[in-house]
Parts: sequence; C-alpha cells; structure tokens
Amino acid sequence: MVTLPPTPAERHEIGIDVDVLFGAVPNRRLDASLDAVVMQQESHGIRRGLLCSLRGPLFDVCSGNDETHKAAEQQPRFVPVGSVDIRDALGAEDEIGRLAESGVRILRLFPPEQWVEPGSPGLAAVIDTAVGHDLVLLTSGDFSQFWRPFADRGARVCFLDVHAYRVADFVVTARREPGFVASTRMLVGPDSIERIAGEVGAHHLAYGSRTPLHDVMPSALRLRMAGLTKQEWTQVAGGTAAAWLGEEL
Amino acid sequence: MIIDVHAHAGPWFFATDVGAAELNLTLMDRYGIDLQIVSASEAVTYDMVSGNRWMAEVLAVHPRLLGYVVLNPNDLAAGARELEKYLPTGRFVGVKIHTTYPGQTLLSKAIQDTMALAADAGLPVLVHTWDESVLGLVDVLDRYPDLRVIAGHMGGPAWRTAVEAATRTDRLYLEPCCSITDAGRYRYALDRVPLAQMLFGTDSTLVDPAIALGVVADAHLSAHETEHVMWRNAARLFGIRTEVAA
Repeated sequence: MVTLPPTPAERHEIGIDVDVLFGAVPNRRLDASLDAVVMQQESHGIRRGLLCSLRGPLFDVCSGNDETHKAAEQQPRFVPVGSVDIRDALGAEDEIGRLAESGVRILRLFPPEQWVEPGSPGLAAVIDTAVGHDLVLLTSGDFSQFWRPFADRGARVCFLDVHAYRVADFVVTARREPGFVASTRMLVGPDSIERIAGEVGAHHLAYGSRTPLHDVMPSALRLRMAGLTKQEWTQVAGGTAAAWLGEEL
Repeated sequence: MIIDVHAHAGPWFFATDVGAAELNLTLMDRYGIDLQIVSASEAVTYDMVSGNRWMAEVLAVHPRLLGYVVLNPNDLAAGARELEKYLPTGRFVGVKIHTTYPGQTLLSKAIQDTMALAADAGLPVLVHTWDESVLGLVDVLDRYPDLRVIAGHMGGPAWRTAVEAATRTDRLYLEPCCSITDAGRYRYALDRVPLAQMLFGTDSTLVDPAIALGVVADAHLSAHETEHVMWRNAARLFGIRTEVAA
C-alpha cells in the first residue's frame, strides 16, 4: 500500500458528500450498486451523502426518483436528490412539483450527460421552476459555460465540475451570486480550494467525490490536506450542504 | 521511496500561485516524494530556450529535482542545440514534448522526428497524451527501436486505449496524473500492463500531489507493486542512482 501523509484527527470524517450516485453505468464495467457506494463512502470516512440514482438522468425520471427515494429510506446516511430530464422540460415541470411535494429539497441536473447546451430554453425553464419551488440545485458541466443560465435569479446552486483552471471565473461570478457553490472534486491545484475560500468564503465550497464514478481518495485526501482554518474546513466538509438541508452542524 | 516522473516548475497563467520552485520541495515534503522530474512551464507553454535555461538554474541548486529538456517539435535544429547544451550538466534525464502548445498532433511527423532525436540522445520521452491517438505510439516505437516513451496522463480520457497500447510494446510506460479521476483507472492498467511499465507522476505543481497519490491509494497496490510503481521502474528507466539498486 502507498503510504499517505498523516492528516489531523478532526479531519478524518467528512460530514457530507454532495456528489454521490448509484445505479447502472453503461459506459463502464463498474459496480455502482447502492451497497458498493455505501462501502466506498464508509471506507473513505464520509458520513453522509446527497444521493441520486443514475436511472433518472440516463433513462427514466419517475422510476429513477422513486429508486433514489427508496435507497435513502434503506440507507439513512443518504439524503435523496431528485433529477429531471432537461430534454423534456414539460415533463420536468410536473416532476419537480412531485418531488417538492414529497419533501425533496435538492435537484440535480445533468446537462452534458443529456446533451443540453448552456443556452437551452428547456434548461432555463427547469431552473426557473426549481428556484420557484425553493430547491437547491446541483449541476454538472463546465462552469465557464454553464454559470450563465443560473445567474441573476437568486439560485442556490452547486457546480459539480468546477476545475482548478476555472477558479478565477468562479470567484468573479460568486462575488455577485451568494448562492453559487463550487464542489471541491476538480479543484485539484495546490491552492484552488484555498483561493476560493480566501476570495469569497468557505460557504461557497462543498465537498464532492462523485462516488462511484470517480476514485474517492484523490478528493478526500486533497480536502484533508487543505490549508483551511478549522471553521473553514468544517464548512466545506459538510457545513455548506447542511445549510441547504436546514440543519446545523 | 517515491520518484515523481511527471512534474513542472514555474508559473502558470491560471489563478494559481505556484511559480516558485521552492513550492515543488514543499509539496514533495508534504507528500513524501523523494525525487521529482520536472519541466519548466515556460518551456512547455511559451519559449523552449528561455524556459530550459531557467530550469537549468533551478536544477543547479535543488538536488532533489531532475529535469526534462523541453523540446518544441516545430524547431528540430533548436531542439538539438538544447540537448547539446544541457545533457553535459547531468541534471536532465529525459525529454518532454507537449502537443497542445506547439500545435502538433501526437503522431505528427514533427513530434516523431523530435522523439527520434531524444532516442538518439538515449533519453526517455514524456509526451502529453489525451486522446485515442495514443494507440499510434505503438507504431512509432516500432519504427525507433531505441525510443522509450511515457504516455503522460495515461491517455487522459482515452486511458483504456493507452492501456491497450502499453500491452503491445514494452517501451511504452504509463503514469496516472490527471484531474479526471475515473474510478479504477489505475487498477485497470495494473491488471493488464506489465508492472515494469507502470510509473507514478503527479503533474505538480500545476496539480496537488494528493490527486495522483489518491488515485494510487484507491488502486490498492500490493507491496511489490508499490515498490516498482513508486520508484524502482522510474530509477531503471531514467538511470537514477538510489541508495537501493533499482
């Protein structure tokens, strides 16, 4: 085994992972079952996660969301995250209403995976509907392309694919968008996480791993080694997501 | 022991403060990396000659850093002069070739000629690979029997193709640094590619070494694999003398 550097005991447990999936992965031979995901999260010291079934975004929205709901009942460590198909913005209106009525507070969007461009009218409509229901949004996609449809509408949104190369774009946008948050997963530079925390505050950051599609240790180790204060670290490792859920740390 | 075969020194044009070579050492200490083979960011992205010159000055005062001479495939004659200038220092142990900044595709004649130049000098080549063209390196290696190539980033998103390529020739090596950390990517390679061709690289200081170390940790290497991947293979490939024979 490779020897990893020691990390402070208070950083061994990461409170909430905002980027957790399960289901089938047609482009990989990968065990993405709920059991495998639980094992991955546990073995990497992650206490809770915001969970979304891949069935919804990749195949069928309603049964996918039902599957997520059931998984979160089976595994209370997970908070259910709804999804819609942006290619069917009409159906998405109904589904967002159904999700909100059932108590779902977070909606995950998959624009690149659903071949949706940043300027898509359907995407704008879905965002409007979700914001109207006071849902927190999670979204994949290049931040420098996908920030615009979420801007100027008071959205609370976590961008799951903010790359280290996009730190400046994120910071200048987050300065005027209090609800914009960057997942740490691709903030891979030696100072990416620290720069965002220093410029706009740790409440603009949340830990995400993309279990089970990505290796978990790279993002977990990077966060544990981050040059953040105790308060900043706690905020990134769970505080930001806890606030979305109306919880206190 | 850890030898990092893919690293950089110097500043980048992103919002990141990583320009000081001392940061290389700080991060190496933080993550237990003993030796690092670096190329100058300036030479990679802008000016080969001034970048290599700066790199040589840095290497002269930092014994834990070894260098790649960066060659721009658009000027083979200038590249040859760079090799003549820096090989006698004994501080450069390989050649680095990028594709994006010189505007050359991996299998272009210019890059193949530059690889041949490195082979003639007896140096391994670290080349940026990021698509399916990585498979074409098999034919290039077949054409130049003295050439040894490291597929930087293991092909990036085309990592399965990079693995296929490395099973077809024993002179193509893989290293895992990549900000796209697809699950199980490194274990997939370890289970198919001869162990002697597997290396460790971080892309530091552009990328924090935590990322590549995390990838290797999640691949659950045996003690035997760890020893070879993390340093023995690199020591042998680059002719690096260590306290323990490679």
